[in-house]
Amino acid sequence: MCPSLAFVAIVEKNSVTIAICVAPIRTLTSPLLRLSAASPCGTKSTVFGCLLRSFENRELSVRLRSSSSLDARNSRGRMNCCAQVGAEAGGSAPFLTDHTTLIDSVETFIFDCDGVIWKGDSLIDGVPETLDMLRSMGKRLVFVTNNSTKSRKQYGKKFESLGLSVSAEEIFASSFAAAAYLKSMKFPTDKKVYIIGEAGIQLELKQAGINYIGGPEDGDKRIDLTPGQLMEHDHDVGAVVVGFDRYLNYYKLQYATLCIRENPGCMFIATNCDAVIHLTDAQEWAGGGSMVGAIKGSTKKEPLVVGKPSTFMMDCLASEFNIKTSQICMVGDRLDTDILFGQNGGCATLLVLSGVTTLETLQSSENKIQPDFYTNKISDLLAAKKVTTNA
Amino acid sequence: MAQFRSEATASASLLTNPAKLIDSVETFLFDCDGVIWRGDVLIDGVPETVEMLRSKGKRLIFVTNNSTKSRKQYGKKFEMLGLDVTEEEIFSSSFAAAAYLMSINFPSHKKVYVVGESGIQLELKQAGINYLGGPEDGDKRIDLSPGQLMQHDPDVAAVVVGFDRYINYYKLQYATLCIRENPGCMFIATNCDSVAHFTECQEWAGGGCMVGAIKGSTQREPLVVGKPSTFMMDHVTSKFNIKTSQICMVGDRLDTDILFGQNEGCATLLVLSGVTTLETLQSADNKIQPHYYTPTISELLAAKDLANGLHSSLL
Repeated sequence: MCPSLAFVAIVEKNSVTIAICVAPIRTLTSPLLRLSAASPCGTKSTVFGCLLRSFENRELSVRLRSSSSLDARNSRGRMNCCAQVGAEAGGSAPFLTDHTTLIDSVETFIFDCDGVIWKGDSLIDGVPETLDMLRSMGKRLVFVTNNSTKSRKQYGKKFESLGLSVSAEEIFASSFAAAAYLKSMKFPTDKKVYIIGEAGIQLELKQAGINYIGGPEDGDKRIDLTPGQLMEHDHDVGAVVVGFDRYLNYYKLQYATLCIRENPGCMFIATNCDAVIHLTDAQEWAGGGSMVGAIKGSTKKEPLVVGKPSTFMMDCLASEFNIKTSQICMVGDRLDTDILFGQNGGCATLLVLSGVTTLETLQSSENKIQPDFYTNKISDLLAAKKVTTNA
Repeated sequence: MAQFRSEATASASLLTNPAKLIDSVETFLFDCDGVIWRGDVLIDGVPETVEMLRSKGKRLIFVTNNSTKSRKQYGKKFEMLGLDVTEEEIFSSSFAAAAYLMSINFPSHKKVYVVGESGIQLELKQAGINYLGGPEDGDKRIDLSPGQLMQHDPDVAAVVVGFDRYINYYKLQYATLCIRENPGCMFIATNCDSVAHFTECQEWAGGGCMVGAIKGSTQREPLVVGKPSTFMMDHVTSKFNIKTSQICMVGDRLDTDILFGQNEGCATLLVLSGVTTLETLQSADNKIQPHYYTPTISELLAAKDLANGLHSSLL
């Protein structure tokens, strides 16, 4: 069991001076420390090397979340990085108490949608006010969802119908990610995509100028396996894209299987592998992981996953908005997609308990994924509104 | 009596001396799809081969991972194809699922949810086990309107998943709810075959597809009762009181049939009349080598004209 600690250390190394103040975990009012170092040639590894050595003898490991690099625009070579210090082995993520410091330490918030913003078609309490507050504090908001049933444009309409002002450009859905991936690797124009999924994937492929077949239209096709039955398939299918599909049937499973097994080089792309999702607000429903699992079972191949926790969408939005991932806080309800996505990208991570993950799961000994913080729902961030000074 | 090593580490040899193989075992275990038939079409030379082996006093057993039929229904299929095979000689994975549940004393007040076809239902009924689901749920649609909640039976204590041509989201969700929310609910798979010759014309996505779907939504591994699990082998050897070293397993699939035979120390013969090609067998990626391979089981007919009583040990 790692002890709480309280000490101040001044470390000097290679002309880098760092002041570190660490207090017992429970008394920390500012668990997120902002360290400043002035150095003509400081590097991340040097700074972190110092931090680690200073803690070596205290049998405490330091989890350094952020990535940072010399701010080339600062002529004095000032480096800023954020480090969270806390008990690592045996410790679970702390409950978020200093909302202001977290908000101040990043410039962008990425929000998952299902279980964070809404459940099914019902808005979670306090969401509109929270988003308004963050925007008024100058934060960029981006919404990243693994749910491929809608396109970005359709999600824009959903936000609108729920009274939230969010534009399609601020939304990154895994339906969009599939199309963006195919564009990025120059999917040949004479090839087609076979879709196991819903309208969202079709619309994004159409938007990207990519030919496709399958989707909801194949939902009524039946296979009877009568003697002599043979299923033909299009030999120009160069990729199968699989996402959540409430109209799944054996026709689609067999068609996709034939394409992957028999068309040379045919790709197997998954929008996401989420086991369950809150398709309605009333309960969890089998997710995209089910459809992807089915095709894994018949082809014995692993898919290329474009949705969380793969960093493809993170790379897309970081490039689109020209933002550093160390300046992002990822907020989600699922450990193995949202939080891992944030960690893989080097962001701060905040788990909310308004979706599929319970406190029990987070704190269970089997759980290996610990966010930086957890809170009940995103409207807890509203506590920052009442604070008048920065930490 | 020849002993067989449980693992053939060398490359499989083409079967050139069928008489020697036949004389060295007392029982032949045959897979069905791709060995005896493809879809509903008998493979050439099968009736003669079966007759020849019986005339040499060999015990014949048919072990299939295909759970769409019960043993009784398979008996009728054999009959329709002109083969004299009794129900007691057939072990299907539908039967294996019911036999497994009986062997663990599945409580009589509990139920099974079936993602699969009538074969599983008939075997469960035969074993006196209550069930719901199956083909009847094939027409059910999901309503995902706001507030919609799917109820599920809290008495379901096992979900049995096998090949299901009528698979739909209703069944996937029902099975998922039972496994995730009913304490101790078992996840049983009849088999995980990726593809199978459900018609003679091509390969079709197999039971591995349906099992993969439930693995994806529950993040749990199933207990597999079909090949290559040894459950059916243990059942067969116990029922007929036979040693596995006295058995030759004949199948068309490396990762089920041949592994099934190898796991228990049987001789193994791969036929190329089903899902496996010579190229796949000999590929560097393939780690499963049977003792022998041959185009179809009718190659065994070459033994018909040789005298009995060859005494030699197999290489």
